[in-house]
Amino acid sequence: MDFHSMNDLLQLCEEKEMTMGRLMMETEEKKTGKSSDEIFTMMKERLFKMKEAVEKGITDPSPSPSGISGGDAHLMKEYKDKGNYMTGGLVTDAMKYAFATSETNARMGVIVATPTAGSAGILPGCIFALEDNTDISTDDLVMGLFTASAIGYVIANRAFISGAAGGCQAEVGSATAMASAAIVEMRGGTPEQAVHAAAMSLKSLLGLVCDPVAGLVEVPCIKRNVIGTAIAFASADMALAGIKSRIPCDEVIGAMYDIGSSMPRTLKETSLGGLAATPTGEDLKRKLMAKPCRNSAKNTG
Amino acid sequence: MVFNSCFDIIGPVMVGPSSSHTAGVVAIGKFGHDLLGEIPKSVNITFYDSFSETYQGHGTDKAVIGGLLGLGTDNPEIKHAFELAEKERMNISFEFEERCPYYDHPNTLLISMKSRENSVEIGGVSLGGGVSKIFLINGQPANILLNSKLDMESMRERYLHDRR
Repeated sequence: MDFHSMNDLLQLCEEKEMTMGRLMMETEEKKTGKSSDEIFTMMKERLFKMKEAVEKGITDPSPSPSGISGGDAHLMKEYKDKGNYMTGGLVTDAMKYAFATSETNARMGVIVATPTAGSAGILPGCIFALEDNTDISTDDLVMGLFTASAIGYVIANRAFISGAAGGCQAEVGSATAMASAAIVEMRGGTPEQAVHAAAMSLKSLLGLVCDPVAGLVEVPCIKRNVIGTAIAFASADMALAGIKSRIPCDEVIGAMYDIGSSMPRTLKETSLGGLAATPTGEDLKRKLMAKPCRNSAKNTG
Repeated sequence: MVFNSCFDIIGPVMVGPSSSHTAGVVAIGKFGHDLLGEIPKSVNITFYDSFSETYQGHGTDKAVIGGLLGLGTDNPEIKHAFELAEKERMNISFEFEERCPYYDHPNTLLISMKSRENSVEIGGVSLGGGVSKIFLINGQPANILLNSKLDMESMRERYLHDRR
């Protein structure tokens, strides 16, 4: 038993009358010969590692080693505590936790790649916001991670999940799709609704380029993670309302692949284009890297 | 299929900041360490394309050295890889190139390493999300996915060059 497309995945869920999360678990059992308990425990350990990364990020207001990020999780927490936020407690918490994880990542702290480190803020952001704002159990959060992994598994094998291969759409896009599907299943939605949520998330991030300033996973990566949580919740709410993606999810993934394949090299994690090549981006690179910007010099002629 | 498990997607547990430019490269370095069977005395590393442009910000240099020292992806000591390598008296040199002539992917590197008795050269590609593959060993094409079970013993027998 294995699946290579969202269509396969939905068909299997229907045949076996299972959630996507449960199906992913069973697939892992069949592939590895491990027991479901063992697999569940492994995933639970990752949930706890995510929690540690979040806690580290929230309590550490210091700047990252480069000095161009850090402290925003703390600011978001203070803002949330004042109670005057507009997007609601759930999204504000998700943003706070996404900041926390991505800032820990920028400090070379320990995180869990979901699916990548550059996009590691989105899924824990959404998961721990649900934990704080609903009565969901820890075991259901773990099942949410299985749901998310099923979506990421299909995208990673059909297209790409790295910024160097497919741009930021492949990282933040995939992570947001994974998170939104996980939210749908954790809230009791159907596998079909979860796949629509994933499609809507991925669609809204198509074309996003990977242009990290000075080659650091900080600007604009961290804030794109934060915004990703809001998109994940918006897509999940649409899907739970019964709204569907007009373009099937497999075709959205195909479009993501085509767009990523035709993106120029300067916009795929080389720090030679986009925000990395703005005057401020160039300036930061010169200051931080203490090496001549041979390529950017070539770029601007 | 390259991604074979839910833990290829939710994972690895790793030190930041990049799964492809840090964790995936630790794994390639670690494979080199395990193939050699010890910490190399001297290494020459060539970064291509995205690696050669962004290695400082992504800690790719620390990652490959950390792996060659035998550290795992979640070992916080990766941050201090260069200090640790100095203690081991590892001789390190880097080269930077645009396109890899052996494998068509932006995240590629070559490591040529020597211990007292052996020498070996490997080419690795980091495919995303921390999953890596070895595509070249001693100039011969290879296809070794590092998220699968590996028999290092038989690989050592096959690939290690005796320098004595």
